[in-house]
Order: sequence, then structure tokens, then C-alpha cells
Amino acid sequence: MRISVIGDRDTTTGFRLAGVEDVHTVASPEEAMQKFREILKSEDSGLVIITERLAESIREEMERLLEKRSFPLVVEIPDKGGAIERKVDPLNELVRRAVGVEIKIE
Amino acid sequence: MAEIIEGVNPTRMELLKLRTKVKLAKKGHRLLKEKRDALIMEFFNILEEARGARRRAEENLERAFKALMLAQTSLGTLKVMECAYSTKPSPGIESYTRSIMGVRVPVLELAEVRRGVLERGYGFTDTNTQLDEAATRFEEALEAVVQLAEVERSIKLLAKEIESTKRRVNALENVLLPRLEATVKYIKMRLDEMEKENFFRLKRIKAMIEAREAA
Repeated sequence: MRISVIGDRDTTTGFRLAGVEDVHTVASPEEAMQKFREILKSEDSGLVIITERLAESIREEMERLLEKRSFPLVVEIPDKGGAIERKVDPLNELVRRAVGVEIKIE
Repeated sequence: MAEIIEGVNPTRMELLKLRTKVKLAKKGHRLLKEKRDALIMEFFNILEEARGARRRAEENLERAFKALMLAQTSLGTLKVMECAYSTKPSPGIESYTRSIMGVRVPVLELAEVRRGVLERGYGFTDTNTQLDEAATRFEEALEAVVQLAEVERSIKLLAKEIESTKRRVNALENVLLPRLEATVKYIKMRLDEMEKENFFRLKRIKAMIEAREAA
């Protein structure tokens, strides 16, 4: 299956050096979303690597498109500026939902 | 007091049927609870792994970006990009699924991405070791990122499964079971009531017959 990278120029250059063929250099989240849609059209897509800074504002939209699909996997990576501060740690959020407050249905 | 299930006839047959239903619901409840607990344990095991994988990927990427910057300063951004686009593409990933407590999670297998200097495909007369270093670092980072993707997806799927199992446990515990039990109680009461009525009726009739015979 194919690996795709969506990111800024340095990220795509780096991954291209590592042998990833399907790289998309984008400047804005909107552009990233458009590329993401294009990637989703292919059945062969196995993994999409996207920088956190781009993913931040289109995360919900991406997740909606991925619902009911087991592939591709999407992974967010820090770009050359390093990891960004998140309001909620996504892992902690998962923990809270999985083992946190018991939901009671009356 | 939970409400009773509507439309049941207070008969002995219904009572028996309901009792088996209660038994089944209790068994299901116990099994689901066990499943939930096992899932949560599995979840915490993977959680540690996920935190480690993220840290590793971030460290690897940081090193890779530093190496890339060095290559860019020594060769120029354009030259680096040119080289990047002339590298041979490496094969993609293979994927399988694995089952953790019945949850299908993906396993990604990355073909060998670490390559020697000669295998990359860019010329080496006008490039330098900084570029090779950057490429090596990004190959390492790619491995770490692929692993991260796999673990993060697994943990998300597990969390989802835990949530739905929990919901089912709660639905059984707080809705279905009380309702079934209330209905059982209601039918028992009605049956007792009917029995009492019948008994009294028999007594009355007996008294009437005796009175007639005495007359």
C-alpha cells in the first residue's frame, strides 16, 4: 500500500529523500484537505502522514471522511518547528472516554 | 422502581419465560463486564507503548530536520530538493490485521527503507555526506512514524470498543435487568392474587353448599 505525505516544503523534501514517492507540498489547511480528499479516492492508500500544524484545523473533517474506513491510517507529525502545544492531549482524552465517567442510561 | 414490560400476560408460562430471560441477561452482563475489564487492561498496556512511540517519532523527526537543515545550508535548498526528487521510491507498506480481544487492529509492515548511499539514486559527485545523513535520518524517522501510526490506530479502536462495551453493560445493568425483574415480580403478585381469589371462592362455595344441605 502507498504512503502519502502532506506537509510543508521541508517535510516533503525530507520524506522524499527517504523514498516516499507520494508527497504533496501544501501551504494551507484548505489545500491540505483538498489533497487529502484526492488521496482518499485511491483504494491503495495505506498511510497518510500530515504535519500537526496543517492537521489542527481540518482534523474533524478528516475524521468524518475516515469513518467506516479502515484505511488509510492518518498520523500527525511535528514539522521542523517541533511539536505544537495541544489543549487536550489526545491520548489522555481517549483514556478519559474509555475508563472515565460511567455513562448511565436511564 | 423500574417500569414493567408492557403487554405481558400474568401467566405461569410468561413467568417461566421471563425467568430464563433474567438468567440469560445476568450471564451476558457478567461476560460483558469481564470483556470490558480485559479490554481496559489491554488498553493500558498499549497506552504505554503509544506514548513511547510518539516520543520516539518526535525525537527521530527532530534529528532528521536538523540533518536536513545542515544539508540545505551546505548544498543549497534547491539542490537538496532536486536530489530528493531523483531518489528512487522505496516500496510502500504491507498491512495485516491482528485481533486484540476480538478487536481488529491494523499491523503495518514497512519494507526495508534504510538504504545505502549508492542505492538512493541521486548522484554523488556533487552531493555530500550531510545529504546522506539527512536521508538516513529521514528513513529512520519514517520507520518510527509508521510504527506510531499503527499504535495510535490500535489504541483508538480499543477505546471505541471499550466505550461500546461499557454502554452495553450499563444498558443491561440499569435498564433491561431492572425491567425484567420488575415484570417477574408483577406477574408473581398477580398470580398470588388470583390464587387467593380462587381459594376464597372455593371456600364461599363450600359454605353455600353446606348451608343448602343443612337446610
